[in-house]
Amino acid sequence: MSERFDENSDEVLSRRLAGELPRYAAPARLRVTIVDAATPTPRRPAWLGPLLAAAATAMLLALVVLPVLPRIVPSDPTQRYVRAVVSEHSRTLMWGARHGEILPSALPWLTQESGIALPKVFVGDERLEFVTAEPVYLERQRGIAIHYRDSDGHMLTYIALPAPGLTVPDPARVQIGRWRPALMRDSGFAAWVWKQGDVGCFLVSDMVSTDDVERFKEYFTRVRATTEPVPAY
Amino acid sequence: MADLEFQRQALTHLDALYNFAMYLTKRPPDADDLVQETYLRAFRFSHRFQPGTHLRAWLFQILRNTFLTFYRVREREAPVAEDGVPEWDVPMFHHAPEDDGTSMDAHTDLERAMRRLPEEFRSVLLLAEVEGLPLEEVARVMACPVGTVKSRIFRAKERLRGLLRDYETK
Repeated sequence: MSERFDENSDEVLSRRLAGELPRYAAPARLRVTIVDAATPTPRRPAWLGPLLAAAATAMLLALVVLPVLPRIVPSDPTQRYVRAVVSEHSRTLMWGARHGEILPSALPWLTQESGIALPKVFVGDERLEFVTAEPVYLERQRGIAIHYRDSDGHMLTYIALPAPGLTVPDPARVQIGRWRPALMRDSGFAAWVWKQGDVGCFLVSDMVSTDDVERFKEYFTRVRATTEPVPAY
Repeated sequence: MADLEFQRQALTHLDALYNFAMYLTKRPPDADDLVQETYLRAFRFSHRFQPGTHLRAWLFQILRNTFLTFYRVREREAPVAEDGVPEWDVPMFHHAPEDDGTSMDAHTDLERAMRRLPEEFRSVLLLAEVEGLPLEEVARVMACPVGTVKSRIFRAKERLRGLLRDYETK
């Protein structure tokens, strides 16, 4: 047998190495892995980064600047009042009330701060939940704001403030029971406008669709029937 | 990164490179890693390849250099035992780690004997006798003169014969 290895001359050994040594073939997944690794991932265009940064900066500036841009003030005093109470309502929606006062315990303080007394006030029921009350300053007048939330999550803001020059526009009046408030709109919000003596009263909400307005009428009735604002001084 | 034509040409040598890597590392996972790293380096430095020269030899050269770099680091971290290579002047050669549970099984005495050769001997035999590279190309891959390649082939065959004889007598 040893003769066999003695016969392993250089030529024989070369032949054995070339012919008998097992060869290992690369697994198929290795080829896939290499090709995948070598394929460059699509690069973002060089201008895309600065463009996105500039757009983001512009949007941020717009968000900061837009609220302080001068707005065209309506010449109609009623419309001016409506715009003011709608702004107050939307501010409350975004940032919440400045104070969280509970009725009726806070009424003396509210009267002192707002100049509006409330001998009768709607403090909520099963449909309309009282949220908070706070003094406000709108159209150069101190007033009182009471916020409610209905069962569907709609926020309502009742605002009463002295408004001797306020006239309720007849064309916008709607008959609701024995009252005829005006339904006015501004910035996507609806507002009931009425007067009780020299006090201008507003009930603002985002209920603007036909169905919502019917419900809004009910809310008006609840508030109007049980709230009586009078100048305190 | 290399163009698609270069990649396509380089990948035609995948099986040969993998076979070489298997005999160097003795472990399929290590061979996978070694071949993958070889191709990534080849694609990254494809501009250094001189068209008209032997692409196959260039790839073998990258693979072996990568292997030596990798195992030299390992050797520094944990010296490798020299079991199975008795009384030969092996310390000057680089050895892959000895077999463990993940290494491939030898199918023949010839393969087992090949795996016990020092890396320099194993490589010259694989490149010259198995892959059929000209001695000049083998010298380029091994980074040594052609005369050294011839000498190593001669000595490698001597050891191979000795190992085969030992297996037979056992």
